[in-house]
Amino acid sequence: MGKLTIGCFSSLVGSMTLDFALKLSEAAIKKGHTVDMWLSGNATMLSKKGQRKFQDYSSLEASMTEMLGKGLNVTACEACAEARGYHKEDLIEGLGRKSMDWYLASCFEADRVLHIGGE
Amino acid sequence: MAVEKKMAFIVDKLPYKAETSRLALTHAIASQSVEIYLEDEDTVIPVVAFVGEGVLNCLKDQAALKLYGVTSLEGHIKNALLLDLEVMVCKEDLEKYGLTNDSIIMDAEEIGGEVETQVVPFDDILKAMDSADHVLYF
Amino acid sequence: MKLGVFVSQYTQTNTTLERIKADKLGIILVQNAVYHAGIKENGKASPILDKDAEFFALTEDLQSRGLSPDNVDGKVKVVDYNDLVDLIMNDYEKTIWI
Repeated sequence: MGKLTIGCFSSLVGSMTLDFALKLSEAAIKKGHTVDMWLSGNATMLSKKGQRKFQDYSSLEASMTEMLGKGLNVTACEACAEARGYHKEDLIEGLGRKSMDWYLASCFEADRVLHIGGE
Repeated sequence: MAVEKKMAFIVDKLPYKAETSRLALTHAIASQSVEIYLEDEDTVIPVVAFVGEGVLNCLKDQAALKLYGVTSLEGHIKNALLLDLEVMVCKEDLEKYGLTNDSIIMDAEEIGGEVETQVVPFDDILKAMDSADHVLYF
Repeated sequence: MKLGVFVSQYTQTNTTLERIKADKLGIILVQNAVYHAGIKENGKASPILDKDAEFFALTEDLQSRGLSPDNVDGKVKVVDYNDLVDLIMNDYEKTIWI
């Protein structure tokens, strides 16, 4: 079994890229792999708690929280989050907030990296 | 034993309308502080390459800081050169847009940088991707 | 290198994809790129499929868009998320997303 690091840079609403990343993470963890997920740029939106569920919008707080319980390691870029007004107290419980070097360290240790760039 | 891992940051997006190329540079520059998370002596060796429309990030005389108060991509590229990062620009794509070495940021001499931008054929960028442990395509 | 390229957009030209070379190349169509597998423009298959590569398309993204996994181009293998994990972790050394 290996380690997969997924870098996410697209926004929560509109692109469905974060839906893809979470489904891929779930499948990888089920197969016994370790998964780190990095949220940067507009993807930091996913780290904010209090997402209200509407069927017209991607709403991933519940499914991500479930995945955290199954071992998914999610960390958001601190500067990207702060620039958008998402502060430490807004962070979903169980997520980390770090600087960009955390992502590079995660890639360093990973067997595979899937870096999903922004829009 | 110390481990070195090479990461290729490939930029093919235009600047300013989206954050992508800026994040490529800020993440590549973050390689300079990644040691705090790694074992002693382990290092990340970054290489930044601009391809396709991405070469337009490298134009000289960007005034985004003056006009919009946002750091220019030129500033980030100069910082990368100052920190001795390997910066490559695709030769064929420069030619496609009618640009030459004189049109783009080739050095960061005025802030003390010693390395220069390398204008190379796309095949050399493919070789850099091939020799990298991971490719981050922005 | 063994390179898996995730393509997520439905554009007829991509200068990177056109130029990229690898000892083993996989093109994995996800999100809107699945139209390359399931739609013919003016009766012709997408030019992406002319590339010397193995092709995959994500079944969930085909079905989300009203495309039947049974009607994709013959060059394309339909895969699910479990298969994607195996492609990333076992079949290719590096992956990029364009």
